[in-house]
Amino acid sequence: MKIPPYLRPGDTIAIVCPAGYMNPERAVTCIETLKAWGYRVRIGRTLGGPSDNYFSGTDEERLADLQEVLDDPGVSAVLCGRGGYGLTRIIDRIDFSKFVKAPKWIAGFSDITILHTHIWSNYKIVTLHSPMAGAFNDGDADDVYVQSLRKALAGAEAKYACGPHPFNRVGVGTGRLVGGNLSLIAHLAGTVSDIRTKGKILFLEDVGEYRYNIDRMLHQLKRSGKLDRLEGLVIGGFTDSKDTTRPFGATVEEIILDVVREYDYPVCFGFPVSHDRENYALKIGVEHTLGISPEKVTLEE
Amino acid sequence: MNRKNFLSSLLTLGAAMPALAAKTRAPFPLITPPYLKPGDTIGITCPAGNITLKEIQPAVQLIESWGFRIRVGDTVGKKDAIFGGTDEERAADLQKMINDPGLAAILCARGGYGVVHIIDRLDFVGLIQHPKWIIGFSDITVLLCHIHTNFNMASVHSKMCNSFPDDWSKAEPVQAKSILSIRQALAGERMEYAAVPNVQNRAGLAEGVLVGGNLKTIETLAGTPSDIDTAGKILFVEDTGEYLYSVDRMFWHLERTGKLGRLAGLVVGGFKVKPDDPGEEFVRTVVDIVTERVKPYSYPVCFDFPVGHQKENYALKYGIPHILDTRDGLARLSEKSVTLAPLP
Repeated sequence: MKIPPYLRPGDTIAIVCPAGYMNPERAVTCIETLKAWGYRVRIGRTLGGPSDNYFSGTDEERLADLQEVLDDPGVSAVLCGRGGYGLTRIIDRIDFSKFVKAPKWIAGFSDITILHTHIWSNYKIVTLHSPMAGAFNDGDADDVYVQSLRKALAGAEAKYACGPHPFNRVGVGTGRLVGGNLSLIAHLAGTVSDIRTKGKILFLEDVGEYRYNIDRMLHQLKRSGKLDRLEGLVIGGFTDSKDTTRPFGATVEEIILDVVREYDYPVCFGFPVSHDRENYALKIGVEHTLGISPEKVTLEE
Repeated sequence: MNRKNFLSSLLTLGAAMPALAAKTRAPFPLITPPYLKPGDTIGITCPAGNITLKEIQPAVQLIESWGFRIRVGDTVGKKDAIFGGTDEERAADLQKMINDPGLAAILCARGGYGVVHIIDRLDFVGLIQHPKWIIGFSDITVLLCHIHTNFNMASVHSKMCNSFPDDWSKAEPVQAKSILSIRQALAGERMEYAAVPNVQNRAGLAEGVLVGGNLKTIETLAGTPSDIDTAGKILFVEDTGEYLYSVDRMFWHLERTGKLGRLAGLVVGGFKVKPDDPGEEFVRTVVDIVTERVKPYSYPVCFDFPVGHQKENYALKYGIPHILDTRDGLARLSEKSVTLAPLP
């Protein structure tokens, strides 16, 4: 396992959009804040730019922009501007050889789950599942979640806690942390970017999915042997989950508990990792301890 | 070791090593269940979504008029939220039919969602001992893929009870033709289908076993013991209610899981896509998406094939060798004429 060097004042953070298009105005506060934190900011060509469609640029443009910042020894961290959809189209063309020799932080979530999972599964380099540029807006740059990104980049160890949830399954588990967006983890099954969960703490979040589809993806994880040997399961937000006209008949919590009922590892719900404001920076690949008691939940490096 | 024990040991072996299942079972000879004769019995069951007894009546009456008997399963009329009964009830009903030597076919009443809840609880020894046609599509893709991958057993991808019109005399011609094709397939006729030639088709001639189904369902089988191997085969896919970006992502998934690279041919059926959200215009069409993905390969590709969540949805013999011909403006899929003998 390799942990990229933590950032020092004066280091450079590059902002790129390897997936969906981002209006550059939405990144202004982020850029100003990163500078206020003492970093230099380099803005990739895929933030804003001439794209007139869904993507922040053509596959070639997104690939070239990401490749350039991955390879550039002057860049210490790559913060993705936003997710959306698009990494799967370029992941197999990214050349990680320089990155592997000189790892740097890669931060983001949602579609960026593909980068995190691919890099951990193939190169055992730690990445950061974290808020992205848009999270700095609306006065949120000072909140604990954006601040957790700042602290993580600077080298602070994660010590997160959240309140109890009536569906939590108490217990303690220790293992490397892996996970991200459920839809993307399901989508990576069978590919070279596929996640390996044995002996790990798995965290999952998603947005805008139908309950039946959440159920189907969890059954896929289960049937592909990804849920049976976990050390713990951390469920974040399932933001704006939808139901079909004919009600599915179970909540997201009930669906998840049913899928993992034959296992005995700890499970917590409502952990602050989500498409909402609540989204702590999590170091993927680093060993964590998950403690779930009737009173609270802790997740600590 | 007698045949039953031999089969059981193979099944146990496969269950113990799901990752190896596809490889170890590849040499299994194709099992074509006996085609149906007048008087044969078809069971109707709900392994996924629920349906009422009243809703299946048009299908029951029409199929009986074809000279077959119908046995209505315990799950017809059952309801547990969106499911046709609890997982236990749905598994038990399907298991009973799988084991029943008196049934020649099992028609799934409708799709919806739910087969993945019960697939790993089913014991397929009875199906191999008494091969029978399993019929359905959409969520039933799980069953069709599973029995193809694990037992090399043919099945029928077709409309189900919920697509039979209440008044047969008022059925649209393509709808009637689609439903009648189920009878033809079950009776053992050699199947041949013509799609409307599309200028975007890629010309060529291919021969291979026909596999496929609902694209989203195929994606969610990746990594599981029901996943399909498409090498050397003709793959057909259809879907409904997905965003274009999601269709793109699923074709990338096929590519990244090695399911596009070694195809004999690709048949693209109906894709009813969800409109893009404002400001998230994907721009590419389904034809663009597919054409872009198959560019590195040279096999024939056929668009607008009449299979999918639509009135024109012909019965396809799943797991049986077919020929895809897209030469000279043609768009024809036909069953290979040499029929392999069913297991004694």
